[in-house]
Formats: sequence, structure tokens, C-alpha cells
Amino acid sequence: MFMRNFLALCLILTSAAAMAAPRNYVLQATASNVGFETDFGPDKITGQMPVTQADLSIDFQNIANSKVAVTLDVTGAEASFPFAAQAMKGPKVLDSREFPNITFLSTAVARDGDGATVTGNITIRGVTRPEVLHAVLYRQQGAVAGDLSHLSIRLTGTIARSDFGAIGWNDMVGDQVRLDILAQIQRVE
Amino acid sequence: MARRNDPTHYGLVSRVIHWAMAVLILAMLVLGTKLSHLQPGLANLWLYGLHKTGGFIALTLIVLRLIWHRISPPPGPLGGGWTRQVAIWAHRAIYGLIIAIPLSGWIASSATGLDVMFADTWVVPPIAPVSEAWEHWGFLAHRVLTRTLMAVLVLHVLGAARRAWQGDGTLRRMISG
Repeated sequence: MFMRNFLALCLILTSAAAMAAPRNYVLQATASNVGFETDFGPDKITGQMPVTQADLSIDFQNIANSKVAVTLDVTGAEASFPFAAQAMKGPKVLDSREFPNITFLSTAVARDGDGATVTGNITIRGVTRPEVLHAVLYRQQGAVAGDLSHLSIRLTGTIARSDFGAIGWNDMVGDQVRLDILAQIQRVE
Repeated sequence: MARRNDPTHYGLVSRVIHWAMAVLILAMLVLGTKLSHLQPGLANLWLYGLHKTGGFIALTLIVLRLIWHRISPPPGPLGGGWTRQVAIWAHRAIYGLIIAIPLSGWIASSATGLDVMFADTWVVPPIAPVSEAWEHWGFLAHRVLTRTLMAVLVLHVLGAARRAWQGDGTLRRMISG
């Protein structure tokens, strides 16, 4: 899916060379999602969590000036089978009643190949910890080259749920959670 | 063939319930023991549902059995002496355990916060708060009570075999009335 509209960050940067200042982007919520995956015995549990808010400030000339803030809706999370979603949202894992949101706030952004390494603070279950995500920007499908008004940002990374106290069912469900966040964003004019 | 019990014979209803429960409980003990050693995965998740469904059926059958005993009292045990007392207490223990074991499983499962399903279709209401303490003690009780049931059932079967060996008719009246 990404291949068709893939545009490496460097290409965006090249075409955006004229832009001197950071530009602000907001979320297009309908097409944005967080995919995650973890191990369940010999199998995998996969699922999604809606993105409620994503505010980005992107400096195409100096990527280190960029900022990312993402908020996820834990209560709207879904998983590949019903028990998994219930277990995940329940008090032993994410405790969505007490902590309905997961937030990510970047503290440093650095160029990394075609993408960027985004260091930031993730808050899960009220516990805030520094984590590192890898980000790649794409031009949205149908957009012409050089049109930076609508972009997709894909953030990938891995977290250990035990770091946040989300330890429920750790005898049968893996500790490592692999994240794949896709947010559609549009420039604030 | 009489459906009701009389002072010396078991009726058809009591015998059918007895043997249905015998088969079910034996299967549940095997399944439960297997589950306690199993690494859960998508391929075997249905076995946990099957175990819960079996537990609810066992609970229903024991309640029906107790109701039926009110309607149609069963015959008293044959023989006398200490074996009679052992038989009476073994029966009371089995009845109590067959109520307590599914209830402890239901309590512990409720405490996990996950839906407890019957036949993978209907959600059974929780009977305990979502709590790790309730879950821990509930499953511990489930294990201890099950081990106790296994021991009492061995006693029950040995007692029945002994009486069958002596030919006093105890086993025959539970098979053919």
C-alpha cells in the first residue's frame, strides 16, 4: 500500500527546500490508525487503536526542529480476537477506564536515512518513559509531487509493556509490543 | 422403568443424572489437568471455553439433582457400621465440591475481567469483582478443591467396587435401578 504513494523523506525535503520555517500539521483522524502486534504463545495478537490527535511541526530544512505529539484512544482499541481486546483494555494491562489515552510527545528528532529517529516520551497507564520511534513521511495517494499539504507519517517502534506496569497475562502474552502508527496529516495554512 | 426413586431403588432420573455427571466430571478433570499444563495459543483457546461450559453444565446438573432429591428422595445407603458413615460423608463431600468447584472457577474467571462465555455464545454475568486477589484465591481454591474431589472420588469408586465385590446390590441399583 505504501509503495504506490511512497515518497522518501529526502525527496520531500528536496522539493521543500524553499520552505524556511517549520510547518504545522494536524491529524486527519478518519484514516489514521495505530497497528500493534505482540506474541501469544506460538501465535500473534494484532490490533489497532484509533489516533485521536496528532500535532506535528515539521521543519523540512532542519529536521531536528520538528516536533511530534500524538494521542491515542485506548477505549477504542480492537484486537484480532475478542478476549485479547478485553484483556488489553482491562485493568491488568492498559486499564482504559482509568487511563483512556496513550500519548507520545517528541523530545528530539534526528535524520535517519530516508526517515527520522524520533525520541520522545510515551505515557501509558500514567507512566511516562522515553522511547525511540522511527518515522517516515509519505506523500498521500493522489497528491502531485511537491504537494506537501497532505502527508502520511508512519511511526514504528517497539516497547516493553512491563516498563509501563502493563503486566497482565505476562505468562502467556509477550512483553514486547511492536507499534506501527500511521497518521494522515494535513498542513495548517 | 420408574422415573422416581423409592425407598430401596434409584429411579431413572437419578441414575441418568448420576452417570451423566460421572462422565462429565471425569472428562472435566482430565481437561482441567491438561489446561493447567498448557501454553495458551489461538489453536487451544477453545479448550478453555469448553472447560467453562462443562463447569456450568456440572453446576446445573448438581442443582437439578438436589431439586430432584427434594421431589423424589433417593434410597439410603445399604449396610451399616463405619463404611456407611464413610459413604454418607463421601457423598456430602462430593455434592459440596461439585457445587464449590464450578463456583470457584466462575469467581476466578470473573475476577480476570474477561467475559465468561457459555458454549462460546452467551456471556455469563460475573460473580466477583475484577481483582487480582479474587483471581489468585479463586484459582487456588479451584485447584485445591479439585484435588480434594479427586481423592474423594477415588474413595467413592473404591467403596462402590468393594460393595459390588461383596454383592450387596449398591452398584447394581445405580446401574439398573
